[in-house]
Amino acid sequence: MKRKKNFNLIIGTVLTGLMLLLIVTGLFFLPYDPETMDIELKFAGMSPAHPFGCDNYGRDVFTRVMVGARTTLLVALGTVGIGAGAGILIGAFTGYFGGWVDEVVMRIIDALFAFPSILLALVVISLLGNGKLGVISLLLGSGKYQVILALGIAFIPSFARVVRSEYLKQREMDYVKNARIMGCGHLRIMFVHILPNIMPVLIPTVMIGFNNAVLSEAGMSYLGIGVQPPDASLGRMLSEAQTYLFSQPSYALFPGLTIVLLVLGFSLLADGLEER
Amino acid sequence: MKYVGKKIITMCLTLILVSFLVFLCFTVIPGDPALAKLGTEATPERVEALRKEMGLDRPFMVRYGDWLYSFVKGDMGESYSYGLPVKEMLADKVPITVTMSVMSILIIVAVSIPLGLYTAKHEGSVTDRVIYALNQVVMAVPAFFAGILITLLFGIVLKLFTPGGYISYNQSVAGFLGYMIFPSIAIALPKISMTVKLLRSGLIGEKKLDYTRTAYSRGNNTKGVLYKHVLKNAMLPIITFLGMTFTDIIAGSIIVEQVFGIPGMGRILLTSISNRDYPVVMAIIVCLAAAVIIINGLVDLVYQWIDPRIRLEGES
Amino acid sequence: MKKKHLKALLMIVLSLALTLTACSGKRQGESTESQITIGIPQDVEDSLDPHKAVAAGTEEVFFNMFEGLVKPDSDGNLNPAVASDYKVSEDEKIYTFTLREGVKFHDGSLVTVEDVKYSIERCADTSEGGPLVAAFSNIVSVNATDDKTIEIVLAEPDADFLASMDTAIIPASNTTPESVAIGTGPYKFVSHAPQESFVMEKFDEYWGEAAHIDKVTLKVCANTDSIVMNLNGGSIDMFSRLTATQVSQLNNNFEVLEGTMNLVQALYLNNGVEPFNNEKVRQALCYAIDKQYILDMTSDGHGTPVGTSMFPAFGKYYMPELADYYTKDVEKAKALLKEAGYPEGFSFTIKVPSNYTPHIETTQVIAEELKAINVDAKIELIEWETWLSDVYSGRKFEGTVIGLDASSLTASSMLLRFNSDSSKNFINYSNPEYDAAYARAVGTTNQEERTAAFKECQQILTETAANVYIQDMAEFVAINKKYAGYEFYPLYVQDYSKLYIVGEE
Repeated sequence: MKRKKNFNLIIGTVLTGLMLLLIVTGLFFLPYDPETMDIELKFAGMSPAHPFGCDNYGRDVFTRVMVGARTTLLVALGTVGIGAGAGILIGAFTGYFGGWVDEVVMRIIDALFAFPSILLALVVISLLGNGKLGVISLLLGSGKYQVILALGIAFIPSFARVVRSEYLKQREMDYVKNARIMGCGHLRIMFVHILPNIMPVLIPTVMIGFNNAVLSEAGMSYLGIGVQPPDASLGRMLSEAQTYLFSQPSYALFPGLTIVLLVLGFSLLADGLEER
Repeated sequence: MKYVGKKIITMCLTLILVSFLVFLCFTVIPGDPALAKLGTEATPERVEALRKEMGLDRPFMVRYGDWLYSFVKGDMGESYSYGLPVKEMLADKVPITVTMSVMSILIIVAVSIPLGLYTAKHEGSVTDRVIYALNQVVMAVPAFFAGILITLLFGIVLKLFTPGGYISYNQSVAGFLGYMIFPSIAIALPKISMTVKLLRSGLIGEKKLDYTRTAYSRGNNTKGVLYKHVLKNAMLPIITFLGMTFTDIIAGSIIVEQVFGIPGMGRILLTSISNRDYPVVMAIIVCLAAAVIIINGLVDLVYQWIDPRIRLEGES
Repeated sequence: MKKKHLKALLMIVLSLALTLTACSGKRQGESTESQITIGIPQDVEDSLDPHKAVAAGTEEVFFNMFEGLVKPDSDGNLNPAVASDYKVSEDEKIYTFTLREGVKFHDGSLVTVEDVKYSIERCADTSEGGPLVAAFSNIVSVNATDDKTIEIVLAEPDADFLASMDTAIIPASNTTPESVAIGTGPYKFVSHAPQESFVMEKFDEYWGEAAHIDKVTLKVCANTDSIVMNLNGGSIDMFSRLTATQVSQLNNNFEVLEGTMNLVQALYLNNGVEPFNNEKVRQALCYAIDKQYILDMTSDGHGTPVGTSMFPAFGKYYMPELADYYTKDVEKAKALLKEAGYPEGFSFTIKVPSNYTPHIETTQVIAEELKAINVDAKIELIEWETWLSDVYSGRKFEGTVIGLDASSLTASSMLLRFNSDSSKNFINYSNPEYDAAYARAVGTTNQEERTAAFKECQQILTETAANVYIQDMAEFVAINKKYAGYEFYPLYVQDYSKLYIVGEE
């Protein structure tokens, strides 16, 4: 039987590749300065010089999409990094050891799960804004990406749950019991033996988490608690553009399309990898 | 039964924990309810007096204890900004959010199950591929943007509803339900995609299992096998997913209410957070959390009922 | 088979939802009464007690329901309202009001001197940490000399006292003013659903010129971005305080009126912290910014540039010439920075309330303009309540962009805050010269001297570059062509009683 072509993988790779190309190019070369305003170019239409037109301050939309995609990617990666990192740790310990610690931690996770992420974001943002957590603000660039931490924390419970239930299953398996008998330490079993075995479950969760992070960033920006101006992020651009939806639909179109392509590319890639 | 009892106790504990966390949050974030109410005309003396009137001059644990005690007694307090009993305020808003959530769930179920069955049955066909592609695109659209697009398409172009023309259920129930359809669609769309995807892959997975083949070999036709055996088993992850979706819907309703101008729980929550109107925020979050926790608990129970193989969490 | 089940399920739940909502459902009766639906940007987030309401959004609505002894008109004059006449003694210490005959409260009872006395004394009461109306701390006694005359005795002469007499008169018999609204205005309260709507009905026994439209429904449009859709879609008939961008997207069902917001938008600087405690630095910022450029960028050139803490509606106090005191001059700004000891520039943070898009837009343009003089302005969006507690009350900020308005049309309502010891002096402005000029202004009963002294105050604010003053923002009101009669006030109020339906009047 002829092997079917893996369209998902191909399209996904191409889209993600294109997005990465756009972002990486933006690190070294930008057609214009993303923040310089020009009143002459206010709402300039699409032209060879400005392929995506200009925004309400006469800034080049194409340049801002390049920078914005980078910010969005960074936010999404950071969010998944924090969410998955902490989630794996919490899930592994609670799932592996169980007992009362598990009970307590799971109740807290449940509580966080039922907690509106907006309030959580407000808390994180005001903590960082007040400089009470100065070190973290320093690490994240003077509080520019507070949204990463806020979203990251909001993402922990879902990762922790998935990881915990996997560890619950795995710890009863023979290979874990064998490892115990051979005298392996708990940490070694948890992260060297079990962790690779839950990858098939973890990887799709991370992939979905990444897409959710991109979409959540947009939502936060819509509610005005995302990335701060004049920094561009795709979500922020989209929510700024909606004010001009009737007079300047192209301004909303390009950041919107970029979000869709970014998420689409990544989820196709994820599906393609699974199919393989 | 012992299991159910234990479950209820942990639910209550979780709720108390949630309420404590929310209470804690408000001591952390800047903004003073007295100052928020008095605005730029405030004098330090009046702020002080109002703080006292609101009982904010007492220590944190005393205030929390007091709140918890009255809440358990069924007294949710009075809104700082409106001076109305919180219970009364919420009673007006709960039907809005409940209707929106129920409608979304109904739309999700009504659309995604037939679609999931269809795509699984016709795996690899052109329609299957088209639906798959559409699904992927829909999932990639941010919720508020989908809301705006729906408003543009159905409201401005097709004129099926008046954008922002929310009709209160007190005025006209039919009008209310008619208006709520579109925000519900906005909430349901991305969830439909995910449900279809899950159901499809679940069904295809089950199709390849032994019992399905056995059923076929016994001479059942495709339709019968699909409906009787496969669907039931593939429903398991869907139920979990729908449970989780409910949480998402409640959280997502904040944004959708904003886009469609619906004065539901989300809107009240948002403005109360920014007004530092603690009694209202506490009541709403505890109610939402209760809904989420109860639904998750029910999902667990249903899950066990469908598939007795699953070990009870409490016994592990 | 399964499909049938689904349908049945659908029907059950739908009917459940229907019955659930029908429980409290009321049928709206067919009526011929005239009505208008008006969008408001924020809800009336207060109780119904006019004396305790402080939010600007509440005051503009209550203007239609409550009245004081005097009432401002659209030219800024104070006209007798519940009082038919008033007299001020020579030394400006005794104000005598004659009650207007036959003024009725919304509950049908007549306004008596006791109600007036009660209302004024209630607002002068200091048991809640200070009087509800600041100017009332000056009141010594309120006496009803006969059944239609009331006399208010002040401790110190106060030429502006009359402006605070627009304080609402409410019946002494109303023991629950926070939930029962009874006033004397042209509209009476019907219902309020939080975050949803606020409904008022015409008061038939109003003493003055009656309102034209029977029913006014205020609808909360919290999401500024959907206002245009709501107007175009027809769910609201009128919206005030629109931006130029929103106006440009309206369809031609609307008449658009342009006025001013009556506030001073500025980059307010914390004069108490480095580097803004240095006058030269503040002046440098002023020289770096082109007001007209900001207007062109953010509102297609609409708005009035101002140069001090006063806006054009103040008439005789306003000094238009100060708007051009600083003209953009990058070289001069750089030279000033060098003199001040910042040859390489510096960086600071501008905090902006996240719910006011026009301020955010202005801030972005300012930040961009400051780059030319190597000043790096970072923008931090904060919630309005955080702004109140951190910036306004806590004074923890470097710069903030905000619009300050006047609570009444008195020069002191704009200028009091810059006194070095004022509790409202959130920018920590401290200048003995200013304090002296201000003291002279409020200390005299001579009108000309007052005006001159207040003008001196403004001059000082401009010369010392207390803040980077920008503009009095343009305000657009869109009103469906079915209606007319909208009037701009120099205060933050909306007068719905003047609106009428075209063709019926």
